[in-house]
Formats: sequence, C-alpha cells, structure tokens
Amino acid sequence: MKTRPVSLGAVLLAVFCLYNIAHATETLDITHPWVREAPPSARVLAAYMSIKNTGESSITITGMSSTEFESAELHRTVIHDGVASMQHIKHLEVPANGSIKLEPGGLHLMLFNPHHALSAGDSVTLTIHLGNNTCMTVAAPVVRQTLDDHSQHHH
Amino acid sequence: MSAPGKQTKIRQILFVVILGIVATTAGIWSANIILDRQVNLKELQATRFPVARELAPFTLVDHNNEVFNETTLRQRWSFLFFGYTHCPDVCPTTLSVLNSVAQRLQDVDADIRFVFISVDPERDTPEKLARFVSYFNKNFIGVTGTEQQIEQFTRELGIMHMRVAAEENATAYLVDHTASVLLIDPDGRYHAVFSPPLSAGKISDDFRKILKAYR
Repeated sequence: MKTRPVSLGAVLLAVFCLYNIAHATETLDITHPWVREAPPSARVLAAYMSIKNTGESSITITGMSSTEFESAELHRTVIHDGVASMQHIKHLEVPANGSIKLEPGGLHLMLFNPHHALSAGDSVTLTIHLGNNTCMTVAAPVVRQTLDDHSQHHH
Repeated sequence: MSAPGKQTKIRQILFVVILGIVATTAGIWSANIILDRQVNLKELQATRFPVARELAPFTLVDHNNEVFNETTLRQRWSFLFFGYTHCPDVCPTTLSVLNSVAQRLQDVDADIRFVFISVDPERDTPEKLARFVSYFNKNFIGVTGTEQQIEQFTRELGIMHMRVAAEENATAYLVDHTASVLLIDPDGRYHAVFSPPLSAGKISDDFRKILKAYR
C-alpha cells in the first residue's frame, strides 16, 4: 500500500479535531460534501457542501483545511456587471436554526496544491474550524460534475 | 391566319397568369422568412449586435503551439470564454456548461468551435491549457500568448481582467475576469454575447436562432 504524503500540520489538526469533537456542545450538520473533480494537473480545486445549524445559537466557521491539500480558503464567487471575482471569506456565520450552502457559483472552499492528483471516486478529508475552538471533520468524495443548466447531479 | 393568333394569345395569357402565381408565391415566401427572422430574434436572451463588429488583426497561440489569429476565427462559429486554469469555481462551471452546449448543438450543420482564452498568460502555458481544456471536451481549444498579446485582444473585445493578490502566498494569485461568453461569426466578426448566469439550454436555443438569421 502506497503511503500518500500529507501535511503533518493538517494531520495534527484532524487529530486535535477528533479530540475536541467529544467536548463540543454545539455541532453543525454537514451534508453532501463533495470536491469537484478537476483536470489531473489542476493546482486549485473547489469543495462544496450543505451546512445546517441545529443549535440555538449562531456558529461561526473560522476556516477549513484538508489533509490532501497544502492550504484552503473559503471564497464567495461574485459576478458584478458581468465580471467574476472572488471574495475571501474569513468568517462564515451560520445562524441558529439556519443553513448555508456551498455550491458552484457561490460560496466554495478553494483547495490549493493537492499533494497528489485526485480523480472521481477518491475521498478528501475536510476539517471545519469553528469559532468556539472546536472543529469537525467530514469525508468529501471527489465527483465529476455533469452539468445540465444549473442543476448538479452528484451523490 | 386566325388559329395561330389565338394560340399565341392563349400562351400570352397563360404566361402572365403563371408569372403572377410565381411572383405572388415568391412574395409570400420571402415575407414569411423575414417575419420568421424578426420574431425569432426578439426572443433572444443573448445580446446580438445590430452590426457585427470587425476585429483588428491579432496574434495568439493555441494549446498545440499553433498560431491563433483573426484568420482562425473565420469560416466557423466560435464561442469564446476568458478565464484561467487556477480558477476553481467559475471557469470549470462555465466550461462544463459549454461542453453541454457542444453536445446539444451536435446536430447543427455548421462548424462550431469552443475557445478558452487565458487571462493569466504568466501561468497558463499552451501545455497547461491543453491538459485543462481537454478534460472538459476533447475538441475545446485553449489559447494564450504574451501579456501584451492577451491585453490587446481582451481590450478590443471589452474583456476585463485584473490580478488579485492572494493572502496565502504571492504565486497563488487570483484573477477577476469577465464571465460572459462571446460569439464570433464565420466572417470573424464579434456577433453576440451571452451574459451570466449562463445556461446551456438558453445558449443553444439562442445560437440556433442567431444561425437562422445569419443565413
């Protein structure tokens, strides 16, 4: 079995995360996380997901990271007057009993410099860092997006 | 000699009648085509220019390191999209939409090309573009050039692009860019533009109408 290089920092974070999750009093429901498959040589990929806050108070996401990538940043795509730009999102608030969706054309997690090429079927570990110094991890499958107008078909 | 005289007269009348029928038919037929064109174009979501715009000569290079210039744009329809390979959201989505457009227009009897032009020539080499565009569709064309060549071409087409420094590190910069899809006609003229949000269905439908009006 080939060992894949992962950043030590990200691994430590993930472990730290698992420890903390046992002590978390509030959690987010992360559903349908997915990483869009990109050309094999791509240096930047995007991850999307649905986030639901089932708690009574607002939860702040302060960042996300991944063991399969060098770094990650939350961004929002904005198209204004026909020009597309990306806003770096440093804090993402999920209101109490509210939800947020990361999807193509809107909020997304930019994943920089994959440690190895990823293709559909692979799995990426994403760590979501919260404002109360806790975090959670989810496994996001790499999916090839088949697009029909604005609907995405993914599992 | 009355018999031949009568025959000639009948022939003359017949000739006039037939001419009249042909002329009327032709008139109705032409009117229909004109009306048809007018109705079609009113329903367009795309912006079709009243007069297609001539483009000044330019020099770029495609992903096979071959010249891509104003001559390349002639004798075929070209959908142009400007972006860069380090773009994770808008560009992959748009190229997927354009791939869907390509599938939908397969039955069309016209030469149609899809061209992805880099607004990040510093990082986007022909080789990089080849790997990038082929992922979305094997027939897509990637185009790049020197900063100056790209600048000249984008300026002429009114395409905005601007580098934005990334906070992570200097090499991971982002590029703001126009997200519209441009349509160049077989005369090599800027014919129409599709503005975001882009939909494969709408783009295909509009293209069919534009094609019909062009012929």
